[in-house]
Amino acid sequence: MSAFDIFRISGSGIELSQKWMDAVSDNIANINTVRRTSDAAFQARYIVAQSVDYGSGQGGVEVAGAAYGSAAGHVVYDPSNPLADAQGMVRRPDIDLGDQMTQLIQAQRGYQANIAVVERARSAYESALQLGRNV
Amino acid sequence: MSISSISGLTAIVPVTAPTAPIAPGDASSAAATATVGGAGFSHSLAGAVDNLQQVQAKSDTLALEAATGQLKNPQDYLLAASESSLTTQLTVAIRNKAIEAFNDIMRMPV
Repeated sequence: MSAFDIFRISGSGIELSQKWMDAVSDNIANINTVRRTSDAAFQARYIVAQSVDYGSGQGGVEVAGAAYGSAAGHVVYDPSNPLADAQGMVRRPDIDLGDQMTQLIQAQRGYQANIAVVERARSAYESALQLGRNV
Repeated sequence: MSISSISGLTAIVPVTAPTAPIAPGDASSAAATATVGGAGFSHSLAGAVDNLQQVQAKSDTLALEAATGQLKNPQDYLLAASESSLTTQLTVAIRNKAIEAFNDIMRMPV
């Protein structure tokens, strides 16, 4: 464990928040992705966070993988859509824009919180360096 | 602090006056100078300088990646730059204190 390990630990938190925002942006970008009823709907992606064991002297967080939303989605009536089946039905993804925006705020605040930790740690280290001056 | 431990300071001379130019990032030469001083203060200082060199090399690599657009996570560079800056300040502070201590000894009336 080095002296400036906070940078690495907070960096892992920043990276997780960034990947979360990546997943949310992908979900929002694909909110209008319509598929045939014979195919699976676009599945929303959710980031699974996993802590790095502190006992190993590492600390921090990592992305364990991605969890996927419903493949069934919503079957809606849209006969004008070229992908519609004989009954005029298409399959839309099961993504709620309100939920995604909430997650986006959470991810953004997580990013900012980790950066705040880095700033405080930097300030603390600079204070420690002041201790050795003009004694 | 006993006077005998300060004798390790004389071993710093090879660091300031190398017989051959030391290539940046050459860890073996830094390790060689460290063994001259044994486990004294010069060993600690050489280790600190060696660590500083590694941290700065990492920061430089990420700066190059940022400039060439290969950097995936911008925070990596900013964190490395912060670490590099703080490590430099810490190493310089230690060096300044060592020089101060040496000057105090030199000013001591015999």
